Amino acid sequence: MISMSSILSSRSGLILFFLCLVPLATAYLDQGDYLLRICSTAYLYMLLALGLNVVTGFTGLLDLGYVGFYLIGGYTAGLLMARLGWSYWAALPVAAIHGGLWGLLRGAPTLRLTGDYFAIVTFGFSELLFRIVKNEEWLIGGPNGFVNDIPAPTLFGYELWQYWQQYYHILILLILTLLVVYRLHNSRIGRAWQAISQDEEAAQTMGINLHEYKSLAFAISAAIGAIGGAFFAQFQVNISAGVFEFWESILILCMIVLGGIGTLKGALIGAAILGSLGEVLRISLSWMRLPADSRYLIFGAILVMMMRFRPAGILRSTQKSP
Amino acid sequence: MTLFLEQIVNGLVLGGIYALIAVGYTMVYGVIQLINFAHGEIFMFGAYFTFLCLAVLKFPLWLAVLASILLCALMGVVIDLIAYRPLRNAPRLSALITAIGISLILQNLARMIWGAEPRRDLANAKSAFLSQTVIIPGGAQLSYLDLSIIILAILLMVGLNRLISLTRIGKAMRACAQDKMAASLMGIDTNRVIGATFAIGSALGAVAGIMVGMRETIEPTMGYYKGVAAFAAAVLGGIGNITGAMLGGVVLGIAEVLGAGYISSGYRVAISYILMILVIVFRPAGLLGRASAKRA
Amino acid sequence: MDIDPLLEITGLTKNFGGVVALAQVDLRVMPGQIASLIGPNGAGKTTLFNCVTGLMAPTTGKISFQQQDIFGTSAHQVAMNGIARTFQNIRLFSEMTVLDNVRIGCHTQSRGYLWAAISRNRAYREEELQITTDAQELLQFVNLENFATQIAGNLSYGDQRRLEIARALATNPKLLLLDEPAAGMNPQETNDLIALIRSIRERNITVFLIEHDMKLVMRISEWITVLNYGQKISQGPPEVVQSDPRVIEAYLGQSAGSNH
Repeated sequence: MISMSSILSSRSGLILFFLCLVPLATAYLDQGDYLLRICSTAYLYMLLALGLNVVTGFTGLLDLGYVGFYLIGGYTAGLLMARLGWSYWAALPVAAIHGGLWGLLRGAPTLRLTGDYFAIVTFGFSELLFRIVKNEEWLIGGPNGFVNDIPAPTLFGYELWQYWQQYYHILILLILTLLVVYRLHNSRIGRAWQAISQDEEAAQTMGINLHEYKSLAFAISAAIGAIGGAFFAQFQVNISAGVFEFWESILILCMIVLGGIGTLKGALIGAAILGSLGEVLRISLSWMRLPADSRYLIFGAILVMMMRFRPAGILRSTQKSP
Repeated sequence: MTLFLEQIVNGLVLGGIYALIAVGYTMVYGVIQLINFAHGEIFMFGAYFTFLCLAVLKFPLWLAVLASILLCALMGVVIDLIAYRPLRNAPRLSALITAIGISLILQNLARMIWGAEPRRDLANAKSAFLSQTVIIPGGAQLSYLDLSIIILAILLMVGLNRLISLTRIGKAMRACAQDKMAASLMGIDTNRVIGATFAIGSALGAVAGIMVGMRETIEPTMGYYKGVAAFAAAVLGGIGNITGAMLGGVVLGIAEVLGAGYISSGYRVAISYILMILVIVFRPAGLLGRASAKRA
Repeated sequence: MDIDPLLEITGLTKNFGGVVALAQVDLRVMPGQIASLIGPNGAGKTTLFNCVTGLMAPTTGKISFQQQDIFGTSAHQVAMNGIARTFQNIRLFSEMTVLDNVRIGCHTQSRGYLWAAISRNRAYREEELQITTDAQELLQFVNLENFATQIAGNLSYGDQRRLEIARALATNPKLLLLDEPAAGMNPQETNDLIALIRSIRERNITVFLIEHDMKLVMRISEWITVLNYGQKISQGPPEVVQSDPRVIEAYLGQSAGSNH
């Protein structure tokens, strides 16, 4: 992008270079498309983890319903494309804005309350959305969702439906998100968020408007979730309610906890590990004749162990006394 | 009219069950300001432990019930000891995330051990006596089981109220809820009080689990669904407020049954979320709470 | 008198439930002064600071700053208006670096928002540079320039106190409220603190402090207000307050009481 080299250090640039080469390598593999799909899924989770990290990591408020924005983005883009024939490139920003607005609305009642109430409202909100998409068949096709009627996005007349195209598509979205979040984190806004997460009253005496900066974080975080959802809608071709259950929020939370709450690197690494591990577990668990859902046992154990022994993430062993 | 009356009675039964679970959430929150997400799972284990004692150990019903209640109380204490206590001085976020983790572990453990499919073992094991029904004035039918649930829930709630207001441990709990630091300076062993809080809350949750198991089915997700509803009841009544949790349970139970009957059964579970959000928007301290929800 | 007071409090009352923490307190701080607020423990001094800075909502009364009513104004707005403070139990952003703590203080002095932060346009880059320069200058002012990259929570106690002052100064205040700045300091550090407070005043910043160290108070204050049980019992220059029998009684009464 514009001045990528100045933003990403040379090592990051190198990593990016190799990530761009992956589709060339997989083209020669038998299971190449499957591998690309796993990578794309991992990138999608990395994007979502970055988004969740804006609220839970930067401002220190526990969001238990992040999947709600994923859902809003997915259904907004899905409806616009499948029912109204919108282009993906128009549906994507609208989905992001729609998600951001709900982020603001959802957070508003909790601004004057303690963080526990934020956690409760976020949970209730996403569960409510889940019930709505599950029940309202007239609107969104009910529990089965849209069936194969979300068109692939087109670019210069080409339909982007192949795996390598999807791979670059989500990679670009991820890099743009990372750029935005990185720059916000290292700005006056990011410093205000950090201050809020450490001591709300002291932050206020620095002239930081709590409601304003928290709301800003809510909106940005939600918009990123919705972007993820919009991508997901066209990636899966059909979306259904089952994808947006509570556990999905917990999975994304688990990613940022694993990598280290509040750091960008942590969110990326945690999501890369769990985003691809999820697929591996799904296969290996069925091989061990265990229900696929028992992978959540492992996620639960990760949450507990990390908080107890490595609250700063797998990368950082130093723990400051609270 | 009869239908309406039957639904009110149904709502009361459900409300009694919710109230029993809700006090567990609210007591723990009152003492250590933690939303104990794992409480719903303890409730679920209450049902499974009873099933285990009946089916595998061949205990008589009364003994199975008693053993299950004790096991759950122990489970609550052990969870606090190994998971929450080490984080007492850590940021609140850490303890909340740990609670979620414990809940995940327990729920999926149950699924791995007993499978995901609903079981009717407890419902089948209840004595023939409990399956009988009476016609109450107004023409509604009420099973002996439901009747005993209502009576037992009321007795337990009254007992809990007595315990909190009259006994030494109850007074110590109230002291800890007010100010843990001051309580420990007054010579109260706060860790013991917290342990007792977990034990009592978990025991009541186990009772509720057994009730649900006899009335409906037992399954690994029962703790999640009923737990969320009961937690909503605790929020409704004002989290930290024990009488509030009881009231919240009854209100929610009736609202859920009426909502499912007259609005849409698809939204049955959602009613608790809606009430919970409405309360937080309009009356965050709950129906009976003081303004403690606001930051100091 | 021709000069208007910088901070003027009239009839300030604060109730906590049934407890009266402040009862009809009148108080003035003149521009350019070093003023002190003293009184036995529990006299309501910190409560008064909290009411002025908007962290607590006062019950009744009038608070005006630069002839503007700021009663009930929210804390961030008070800071924007030009009142900064430190806390009795140091409240730094302890997991952030020393420099970032001061840079957060520059929040009131900068405007860069969403688009600026994302695009990193020229105005934004210049502003960030300015913030960093200002913050470094302030660190130099409190002698912490060598600790800029350290984590604030790892500083020594005295350094943390000075960092908190630098952070407050970064908001570019006209009035600086210091809540027990000398608490826990040794005589050498206290002397340095006195010098620091005087040089803050030389930057045209009025200083209003709560302090228990009477030697310090008497040495630097030009005006002292004494609170006891939420009421003002005396005010005036140090020599007047020192010999006021009500003040002596308030302090003696307390120490006599605590000996029992």
